[in-house]
Amino acid sequence: MAELEGRVAAICGGTSGVGLAIAKAFANDGASMVISGRRAEKAPAALAELNIGDRAHFLQGDGTSQDDCEALIAETVSRYGRIDLLVNCAGGSKDNAPVVDLTDEAMEFGLKVNYWSSFWLTRAALKHMIPQNFGRIMYISSVEGKVGKPGLSQYVVGKHAVNALTKCVAKEVGALGITVNALCAGAMDTPMMQEAGPAAAESMGITYEELLGWFAQESATKRLVTVEDCALVASLLASEAGAGITGSMVSIDGGTAPY
Amino acid sequence: MGKLEGKVAAITGGTRSIGRGMAEAFLREGAKVVVNGRDQAKGEAAVAEMGGGDNVAFYAGDAATQATNEGIVDFAIERFGQLDIMCLNSGGVKQTAPVMMMSDEEWALEVDWNLNSVFWGMRKSLQHMVPRGSGRILVTSSVEGKLGKPGIPGYAATKHGVNGLVKAAAQETGTSGVTVNAILPGLIETDIVRETGPASAEMMGLPSYEAMLELFTQESAIKRCNTVEEVAAVAVMLASDAARNFTGCMFAVDGGTMPY
Repeated sequence: MAELEGRVAAICGGTSGVGLAIAKAFANDGASMVISGRRAEKAPAALAELNIGDRAHFLQGDGTSQDDCEALIAETVSRYGRIDLLVNCAGGSKDNAPVVDLTDEAMEFGLKVNYWSSFWLTRAALKHMIPQNFGRIMYISSVEGKVGKPGLSQYVVGKHAVNALTKCVAKEVGALGITVNALCAGAMDTPMMQEAGPAAAESMGITYEELLGWFAQESATKRLVTVEDCALVASLLASEAGAGITGSMVSIDGGTAPY
Repeated sequence: MGKLEGKVAAITGGTRSIGRGMAEAFLREGAKVVVNGRDQAKGEAAVAEMGGGDNVAFYAGDAATQATNEGIVDFAIERFGQLDIMCLNSGGVKQTAPVMMMSDEEWALEVDWNLNSVFWGMRKSLQHMVPRGSGRILVTSSVEGKLGKPGIPGYAATKHGVNGLVKAAAQETGTSGVTVNAILPGLIETDIVRETGPASAEMMGLPSYEAMLELFTQESAIKRCNTVEEVAAVAVMLASDAARNFTGCMFAVDGGTMPY
């Protein structure tokens, strides 16, 4: 029997990048899932790639919307009868600038997309996970959840908040069969990065390529990490053996984070 | 096909407890494995129990010594032709005590057993792995590598030291194809813990062995000990080719105990 046979996942931001890589890993392990994304036009290709028929469903939704986050959990439970695995891949930043010039809107977006999405999804999912005494919650956090970079404060603050949420919820539900972990990834050349990266780089006074190079040079491996690296950890955390790992800030960064 | 097909692993300790769990998981994933322990007869019995046939071999030696930590590397290469995965796993305490009462002998033993051993085995392994452009070093550290409990100062100090060694070596070898990682388990009720636990509990100022278990489990979020299987699953992941981008990690398997 496959490791996740009978398990049901909700993946916020699951049509590309890290979310799709994790969806594929869960699909291979036998899980059913609802994946969400802002752009419905990306859904057919993502579902085709998963290739698990009725075991996968797409729901349009934006991580910065409380209604959309709660609808993802509700849709997952209504369609498949339960929710065992929650993965939040929503994240990013826009209008990056040093704090002295940062707008309220940019900071608010950074907190909404990174932190509030995680909070809304978690609160809604726990209402189902606690009674069933099983759950695996994973946030795609970042090395920036552990350290700081100039010009990226709304992202850094958002990811630090995600890590704080991880620690608190892990302790609240630790004895109930529910684990909560943050995947602290280094920079990946994903569609999200390609979308937000050039502007972020510009705000830091460098090119997009220089930004990627900066991330790579900070690591021990001197290269970027990949979405498959995140999927590897997600599979482990979702598995039976993952029951003993919670409240962790798992570094997936080629040796970048100092702790 | 197993995740470690064609790989050769060596594990200091390995006839029981965490090392044994890693050995059995590695065998299931297709690796050839060398395990180590002090007693030849017990070692051979353990190897027979594992049922790995010619894919598992025993190397006798005290894991607190330089000779054993270097010798197991040579032995694995001689027996199986190469060494891909080195698990520097053996460690512990014998007669722990608060700093005020700690004997020089116990301190020296813990430094040798928990820290020097890892240095000796790591240096020797890297000399083999770096020229080959691939390799995995896994160090069994501990939640005490980030914390400090009263009554086990040598254990806490040496596990902190091991974590520093892992971080430094990871930076040194980051582009070589070799990864160096630490696994930080919480308390696991292994037979070694059952043997040394009552005395450790006393030195920690606790009324009983059960009180020590309670202290560790109550610190965790899951309110229970961790298991050998949980550690072994992480070891398999970090040992696999797929984990090429993981290095310098302090991988917690502690049920949410560590604050960072």
